[in-house]
Amino acid sequence: MSQDQSYVRVDNTLGNKLFDGANIIVLTIIALVTVLPFIYILAVSFTSPEEAAKGGFILFPKSFSLSAYQYIFSTDTLMRSLLVSIYVTTLGTAINLLLTCLMAYPLAKQTLRGRQPILMAVLFTMLFSGGLIPTYFVVSGMGLTNTLWSLMIPNAISAFNLIVLKNFFQQIPDGLEDSARIDGCTDVGVLFRIVIPLSMPAIATFGMFYAVSHWNQFFSAIIYINDSDKWPVQVLLREIVILAQSRIGDTGFDETAIQPQTIRMAVIVFATIPILLVYPFLQKHFAKGVMLGSVKG
Amino acid sequence: MNAQIRTTGSSSSRPGGSTLGKERVSRRSEWLRELIKDKWMYAMLLPGVFFFIIFKYVPMYGVIIAFQDYQPFQGVLGSSWAGLKHFERFFSEPQFWQLFRNTLLLAIYNIVFFFPLPIVLALMLNEVRVERFKRFVQTMIYIPHFVSWVVVVGVFYIILTTEGGIINEMLFALTGHKIAFLLEPSWFRTIIMSQSIWKEVGWGTIIFLAALSGVDVQLYEAARMDGANRLRQLWHITLPAIRSTIVILLILRLGTFLDSGFEHIFLMLAPTNRDVGEVFDTYVYVKGLTQAQYSYSAAVGLFKSFIGLILVLGANWMAKKFGQEGVY
Amino acid sequence: MTSKPIQPLASSSKRWVNLICSGVLTLGLAAGCAGTGEKAGSSGENSGENAGAGKPYKLSIALRQVGDIPAKGNEVEQAIEKYTNTELAIQWIPQAAFDDKINVMIASNELPQILKVNYVPNVMNAARNGLFWELGPYLKDYPNLAAQDQRYYDNIKIDGKLFGIPNYRDIGRAAVVYRKDWFDKAGLTLPATMDDWYNVMKAFSESDPDGNGKQDSYGTMLFKNYNAGTQPVITRLAVSIGGVNRWGEDNGKFTPEFKTQPYMDVLKLFRRLYADKLINQDFAVYDVTELDKAMYDGRVGMRLNVSAQNVQSYSVAMKDTIPAAEWDIAPFAGPDGPRIAGEPGNFGFLAIPKSAVKDEAELKRVLAFLDKLMDEPMSTLQMRGIEGKHYEVVDGTKTKFTDFALFQREVKPYRDGLLNIEGYNVPEIDDTPIALKGTKMARDNVQYAVPNPALTLNSPTYNERGVELDLIIRDAETKYIMGQIDDAGFQAEVDKWAKAGGDAVVKEYESSFVELGG
Repeated sequence: MSQDQSYVRVDNTLGNKLFDGANIIVLTIIALVTVLPFIYILAVSFTSPEEAAKGGFILFPKSFSLSAYQYIFSTDTLMRSLLVSIYVTTLGTAINLLLTCLMAYPLAKQTLRGRQPILMAVLFTMLFSGGLIPTYFVVSGMGLTNTLWSLMIPNAISAFNLIVLKNFFQQIPDGLEDSARIDGCTDVGVLFRIVIPLSMPAIATFGMFYAVSHWNQFFSAIIYINDSDKWPVQVLLREIVILAQSRIGDTGFDETAIQPQTIRMAVIVFATIPILLVYPFLQKHFAKGVMLGSVKG
Repeated sequence: MNAQIRTTGSSSSRPGGSTLGKERVSRRSEWLRELIKDKWMYAMLLPGVFFFIIFKYVPMYGVIIAFQDYQPFQGVLGSSWAGLKHFERFFSEPQFWQLFRNTLLLAIYNIVFFFPLPIVLALMLNEVRVERFKRFVQTMIYIPHFVSWVVVVGVFYIILTTEGGIINEMLFALTGHKIAFLLEPSWFRTIIMSQSIWKEVGWGTIIFLAALSGVDVQLYEAARMDGANRLRQLWHITLPAIRSTIVILLILRLGTFLDSGFEHIFLMLAPTNRDVGEVFDTYVYVKGLTQAQYSYSAAVGLFKSFIGLILVLGANWMAKKFGQEGVY
Repeated sequence: MTSKPIQPLASSSKRWVNLICSGVLTLGLAAGCAGTGEKAGSSGENSGENAGAGKPYKLSIALRQVGDIPAKGNEVEQAIEKYTNTELAIQWIPQAAFDDKINVMIASNELPQILKVNYVPNVMNAARNGLFWELGPYLKDYPNLAAQDQRYYDNIKIDGKLFGIPNYRDIGRAAVVYRKDWFDKAGLTLPATMDDWYNVMKAFSESDPDGNGKQDSYGTMLFKNYNAGTQPVITRLAVSIGGVNRWGEDNGKFTPEFKTQPYMDVLKLFRRLYADKLINQDFAVYDVTELDKAMYDGRVGMRLNVSAQNVQSYSVAMKDTIPAAEWDIAPFAGPDGPRIAGEPGNFGFLAIPKSAVKDEAELKRVLAFLDKLMDEPMSTLQMRGIEGKHYEVVDGTKTKFTDFALFQREVKPYRDGLLNIEGYNVPEIDDTPIALKGTKMARDNVQYAVPNPALTLNSPTYNERGVELDLIIRDAETKYIMGQIDDAGFQAEVDKWAKAGGDAVVKEYESSFVELGG
């Protein structure tokens, strides 16, 4: 607390005020510009189909309508797929974080034998992959096809996240870990009692990365899951939004197959809001990391 | 796996491990000793190592289809061999150099214009002292990441079109001219970059914000005592603290150097800008997916990966030379 | 994948190790449930046991998903099962990765008894290599299938052989869908010559037909893919004034459309329209969904890339946005009367994989099912839904939709995926006159349809480089219309096409034509 007060007091010069002011103005502009198109999506989803059909950039619906949302909720298809997405995202992210932390921690120890070849082998998988069909054979050989596991296990560790998390772990001062070891912790204990709690900002970040990638997956769901009851919401979103847009007149669709603009936008809102809510909840962990310095002292 | 660890283990950075002239037996017993000492470490590695072997290395045989005339119904084992045919064809395509140039330019634009921006934005956010405002801005700027390219491109069309787009209406009112932003080849890369920046820059800040939250506040305290102003603090404390994260991300980014973001580019291509806009990814799509040329597109993919590999190894070597940790 | 027991643990960290073990076990368990995953492509399950009369025949079908996914065991599916004495396992494949999924299914040999495929190179290769049953010799034994126009089957033949039953679509559905009120108000008739077209376009963009005080209307608008797909605008117009449909064939000699006069005349028309700003200047990046918006906004007089049936949905939708709008349709017609570019007449086809249908007896069972789908009750079910739920009978014979939105959700997936065609074994519909006119026109205009003579000819070069070759010409057309290249420039692009493989395609078509007894 005393730290914070001194921070404010010392910094209250004119130069600093200007600095802060300019910074805040620029950031506000950036925030508005980035969020405008989403407001457009939101606005169209609440507009009457007639007004939306005419096009144009709508930021506030002249004729407010809930019809798009009524359509979405008139069957349980979308709702069910949303639950699938939430399930896969939650459980999948938990598996991701567990396995990634377990692997990243030993790899962060520069003295561990065999560390370098393993890291190179991991890096290699970021560049080269066997492709869709050989991977499918592995997944189906393990009996994962048509189960929700197929959306969680084959991507249980992301090489990118693993390497960056390893890098974060490396920055934790060794001294802390050593003292824990002296107190009788094994390496596993050190990871879960010292390293992970100290790395909450990183854990939250990668948890978020994993969660978002689970949330956004549609391709593996189409490839691995035959049963439409088990499709996550993104599969339906793709069908409704992307298809409508990329249709080139030769798909043979009858015109009526194309959902009105309002419904497409409502589906986007419906499928995006849940994952958007994750970040604000995680933000508190970012502040916690500040403790790191004081622990070190 | 064990053999691999053993052979390369001798070259590990450990001082004791690489001492020459030691007897074989004692080296092995030393290795055994370390294995026992670090048993928990190795136990923790196991699930991950299994994962990479099973889901990444077992399917890796799939890369050989680049050297075959692969047909799905014949399978990898049943398809006939083609040697380097697909590579030769790729390198002798009339458009090869054009594709290479376009892909390379976009990649460089990405590294030069896009890559630093999330860092700058993260640093700006880091300077905000009103916590609620900071969180608000963070939450706003990461939203576009969730908007699909189709929608982004659609929104840009509405704004930029010469037929009633707001930017062109303003331009026309001011100058009496309109600019066909979406058709002019000279605007192609600028528009692509703006769209990428708009969509992903906020998302890119997250990882740096995480790195920044690890910075020791006492360091600032000390710097202020020494009379350092905000910019100097930024330069001397904040940036060094996230330097290793920047380096790692840059190295990893180089691994996918030649990936241009297929969906994005594909949606932005038009007959008038194809000369500057067609890149490996879109070209492979036309070839591979729409015409079932799996082997050919696999060959192009392999070429891209190979370039990525060289860049990553090179960058990692450079990083180490400059005293950074690097990826491995 | 065995999770090895770990040596005695230091008690303090026991629970963490447990956690790890459970993590590894999760993997192990997941690997252990190999038997539980139900596979849609359960191959050959039926061959012996089920062939008998009484028991329902187990039938797995993979279809492309269009719009909504029907719930399992819904009423429509039950009705089909009951009528055909089958037990259906329908797998819906989303459009977003349809071809990838088909490839995976082929590669892993997890094929259902009926597989929806597109007429694309990898499917053609698979068919050539004996993956699917050849159906040609059997067709005559199935009255409903045999009763369909032979052209539907000819258009999906591969090397002259039939490997599936098409999802029938009208061949002659190309039509100009236009704003009758605009034409009436301006005292114009539908254009027939290139000069007519110019004049109509000029009138509609300059006279402000929508009366909003702005010159923002167009006779028609082009869009990004105006010259691609099965409904290309330039080809349709060229055919109307006597041109060819993609390819011209004369005594075994093949000529691509862009080397013919009518086609160039149409390109020149659009070049002139573009220069005079009578067509949207941003068409090269204009998405067709934006075109829909402009149309609903009342700024477009004619649609040239749609089907006759579409007039109905336009009429309905415009009731809300512009009540005064009055839509009508007419076949594309030149000075010599109606002449339209024939379409392939299918939306993919249903193939029968040999790996899932082992013997001829079972093949006949599957074909019998497909044939039954076109019986009157099944046709009605697919195209009208369930009586009392989706439609009612009026005037004793005609059907009338009572809940069209519900039909779209519950029945349309089956209508689009299975076998049916308007006008065959289905009671007439009681609809608006314009809707009836649309369906009738799509059906009847097959008489004016000009076929594409190269549609089912085999050209290895085209299979390999076709998209690329098409792109050279498509880009050149756009640049020509925009005035970025002149006649010489266009010719240079055509030469480039010829060198890149176009000449080879011509030769291969010609020899394939001879081989198939052209």
